Amino acid sequence: MNSPLDSIALFYLGPLPITQAVLTTWAIMAILVIGSYLLTRRMDLVPGKRQAALELIVTTMDTQIVETSGANPAPYRAFIGTLFMFILVANWSSLIPGVEPPTAGLETDAALAVLVFLSVIWFGVRGDGIGGYLKSFAAPNPIMIPLNILQSLTRVFSMFVRLFGNVMSGVFVIGIVASLAGLLVPIPLMALDLLTGLVQAYIFAVLAMVFITSTVEDGQHSKRNTAPAPSPNQKDT
Amino acid sequence: MTIDFWGLGLQAVNVLILVWLLSRVFWRPVAAAIAKRQKTAQEVIGSAKATQAKADTALTEATKARAGIEEERAAMRDAAKADAETASKTILNEARAEAEAILAAAKDTISHDAIAARKANDAQASELSLKIAARLLERLNGPTVQSVFLSQLVDAIADMPAADRKALASDPKGIEIVSATDTGAEQGKIEKEIQTALGGTREIRFTTDPNLIAGLELRSPHFTLHNSWAADLTQVRKAVKDAA
Repeated sequence: MNSPLDSIALFYLGPLPITQAVLTTWAIMAILVIGSYLLTRRMDLVPGKRQAALELIVTTMDTQIVETSGANPAPYRAFIGTLFMFILVANWSSLIPGVEPPTAGLETDAALAVLVFLSVIWFGVRGDGIGGYLKSFAAPNPIMIPLNILQSLTRVFSMFVRLFGNVMSGVFVIGIVASLAGLLVPIPLMALDLLTGLVQAYIFAVLAMVFITSTVEDGQHSKRNTAPAPSPNQKDT
Repeated sequence: MTIDFWGLGLQAVNVLILVWLLSRVFWRPVAAAIAKRQKTAQEVIGSAKATQAKADTALTEATKARAGIEEERAAMRDAAKADAETASKTILNEARAEAEAILAAAKDTISHDAIAARKANDAQASELSLKIAARLLERLNGPTVQSVFLSQLVDAIADMPAADRKALASDPKGIEIVSATDTGAEQGKIEKEIQTALGGTREIRFTTDPNLIAGLELRSPHFTLHNSWAADLTQVRKAVKDAA
């Protein structure tokens, strides 16, 4: 059994090492994109069962975004929803014999965490401007700037470690049990791994939404606090 | 433990590409379908509300029109009822008047018939009574009665004006004494007293007429002196008839 902390390149494309996780990611991407294309080719005004199921997924995602952030879900839907679907499918890909989930590797989880970190910056700047985004680090007061900067790094690192640890441990435990006890013994652990994969995908997506929302809200709060106070002679409108 | 940053970057690019592709082929089409249906539903709801408002307006107008029709119908019904009552009253009054006229005519007819019947009954009763009286008087036709009638005849002749008595006595055809039965042996006495009452006459003839019932009558071509029960009954019948 190889170490779960090591990733072995199957081959190289130039300087890029193509690992099992990358191949699995490409397969998941192909399945999601082609499946989505095939499922969304004909969207009618009156939905059938297929369209109703797709709309249920989108509506549920929008509901989760609204309940988490209270914001309009449209700007965040594609990023948060794709994160959730990719992580969920990647986690559940461990059920296929011989397939190691990409989220059980360091690079994939680190890449997801980096994307969340960058998305926080992107949505913060897009919502509040560069100044607003930078001022979000001064919330609630400038004394918190070092802690906020440290928090912005550690929280995505914790996401990365949490996802990697849960998925990798599940795969590792199933591999150990399968090698020691036989073929059917890990089935309860695989069922548990299904639940763990769903929960971790949900947690990752919700945390990403919370981080983005808190940054945007902090920037808007800083804007309101730094706005000039109305003059005493100015009437309220 | 080492992290392959090339692999990290490749996976980040892969996920970004996946985000971009899924936003194109999944999230946007499905969200657009939902938004389109919501918009269509809103339009349909708006149209339905407008249609409902029109329908409510039409219903209100129809209700008002129906109320007007009801009022008009009620007015027409009341007018027709009043006309019918007037017509029925008129017909009833006419029928009552006609019935009263018929009743009055019937009463008149009945009264006339009753009067006529009463008159007829009176006439029949008087006839019957006269017949009964005649039958009874026939039994009383005896010498005593005959003498009484003779004296009455003599008195009647005496009561006549002298000129009439003289003209009667001088009648060339004589006079005729009529009795109900044959006078027989009484003729001489009768002739003598009449000759005396008249102061003499040319001829006296004696005849019988059972219709007299009883009595003696003096007859000439131009004069008749009634003195019999038949004449009396005739006068009684006339008096009864006049009285009826």
